[in-house]
Amino acid sequence: MADKTAVAQIDLTKVKPYGDTLNDGMTEVAFTLPVPYGDEASEAAKILAKKMGLDEPNVVYSKAMTPEYTFFVVYGKCQHTVDYTTIKVAKVDVDVMDRLECAEYIKENIKRPVVIVGASTGTDAHTVGIDAIMNMKGFHGHFGLERYEGIEAYNLGSQVPNEDLIAKAKELNADAILVSQTVTQKDIHIDNLTNMVELLEAEGMRDKVILVCGGPRITHELAQELGYDAGFGQHKYAEDVASFVLTEIVNRNMV
Amino acid sequence: MYLLENLAQKYKRISIVGMAKNAGKTTALNYLLEEAMDEGLRLGVTSTGRDGEGTDVVTGTDKPRVFLDTDTIVSVPTQLYELADAGLEILKMTEYGSSLGQIMLCRVVSSGYVQVAGPVINAQHVKMCEEMLSMGAEMVLIDGAIDRKSIAAPESSDAIILSTGAVLSRKMNKVVEETAHTVALYSLPVLEDGQDRNVIEEHKNDDRIIVIRDGEAYFPDITTGLGGGKLLDGEIDEKTSHVFVPGAFTESAAMDINPRKLKNVTFVLKDPTKIFIGSGNWGKLRKKGLSIKVLENIEVAAITVNPTAPAGYKFDHKALVDAMQEAVPGIPVIDVMLS
Repeated sequence: MADKTAVAQIDLTKVKPYGDTLNDGMTEVAFTLPVPYGDEASEAAKILAKKMGLDEPNVVYSKAMTPEYTFFVVYGKCQHTVDYTTIKVAKVDVDVMDRLECAEYIKENIKRPVVIVGASTGTDAHTVGIDAIMNMKGFHGHFGLERYEGIEAYNLGSQVPNEDLIAKAKELNADAILVSQTVTQKDIHIDNLTNMVELLEAEGMRDKVILVCGGPRITHELAQELGYDAGFGQHKYAEDVASFVLTEIVNRNMV
Repeated sequence: MYLLENLAQKYKRISIVGMAKNAGKTTALNYLLEEAMDEGLRLGVTSTGRDGEGTDVVTGTDKPRVFLDTDTIVSVPTQLYELADAGLEILKMTEYGSSLGQIMLCRVVSSGYVQVAGPVINAQHVKMCEEMLSMGAEMVLIDGAIDRKSIAAPESSDAIILSTGAVLSRKMNKVVEETAHTVALYSLPVLEDGQDRNVIEEHKNDDRIIVIRDGEAYFPDITTGLGGGKLLDGEIDEKTSHVFVPGAFTESAAMDINPRKLKNVTFVLKDPTKIFIGSGNWGKLRKKGLSIKVLENIEVAAITVNPTAPAGYKFDHKALVDAMQEAVPGIPVIDVMLS
């Protein structure tokens, strides 16, 4: 049986969830099973939770979604640990400037308007990501690129074919292209994002633009594999993107 | 089979291009690395994505690690340098950035596992390969990323190794068909020498569409073929023989051209990586009379097959190799999982 006494010492090489006491491993999971509501359903949820590595699983809530489907909330004690000390995450390596600092940076180092084109591409109809970065009002109190002095931001909206986005970038002689992918199924965002890179290479434009992708399933590490200059995931705002693009323009001598 | 020895005599830059993710690119790379070790060939190794990390960032599946022999020249970004288990001597900090930090060119001093990554921009790969060769690499191997194929262009690779496998489809004939389609694309007819070719060669890097009418070149005011099918259509008349498109030639552009006109012109592209037409529509367009010639083709030096898919199913090793070999006669087919 699992050790129920808490170890009162934080060991970063063996981190596990904190619930009521340190290292008790207490974890909450929620899921739906395609089985009718009832005792058998709860038992199935418990067995599944055990397979997930949760000791002493406890179904604290279950509700019929439809006659054939049941939703569960299960608590249990996670048996696994993580060695926090060995974790390395690729991050955008740039000093983040705020909106006014960006304007100043453009005046001093670039000395011309910076053109940024963005869209939510392919089948993705969600503009929440690209709007948060580009639109004037921005998101969470962080103004969007349209409000930045020295930046000409063009938000093409949603379901924009890669071809149209590239054609527009070419027409405007854009410095940077932002591609947003919010909701995707079966990794279609990967196909969509790589198709963009390949088209840009074929057009001979890839080395002439800064190419950035963003979305909840995008990480900076993924950007390297896909062929993007940077990737921005959750909790990133216009100033993160702008700082990267502006610094990169100077680094790559695109001034 | 000593594949590498033959390749090294003919080519300086070989890229490993995948038909899909998990088609076995890195396994093919490891196969070649092992051959190089046996033969004492000094290699340069780089990647258009990232290689040698434990798990894949896209699919979460296990990835083969990459073991490099002493004296190999390898590109490593700053953030992956300390993760290397091999001893690396930094030869040069390049000007190429990557999302994992600035790319460094290193020499392997004591052999071991290395996480390899290179620039994400092909034009930078071209320059970096030059540097690796000048640092003493006899040949450079470029491992591709996902199913990105643009690195296969003759500008960036002298020849390619095409990696394919069960991951493409549960049906073996579909795997063979798709792969053979790519090979066919890469061996399109080359525009023959003559006046038409001379005109195009002269202006091919001007980034402009060229229309040849009655042997004379015209430069319509179209900035790109992307979404420009209708405009292209307007430029084609009964006297037009060739249309040169410097960039991507896409399905939608081809579909926008009047079928009667499509039949009578030849589209000329720099190389087959400019074609963005799926195998289904390719067949349809060919039937309508689409004719494409290229200035330069892609040399497929070998095909590697991986009979196992990450989804769990697998094909018989020999059956897959045999079927593939029959579909692409003249190109060596290697089962990297067997060797």
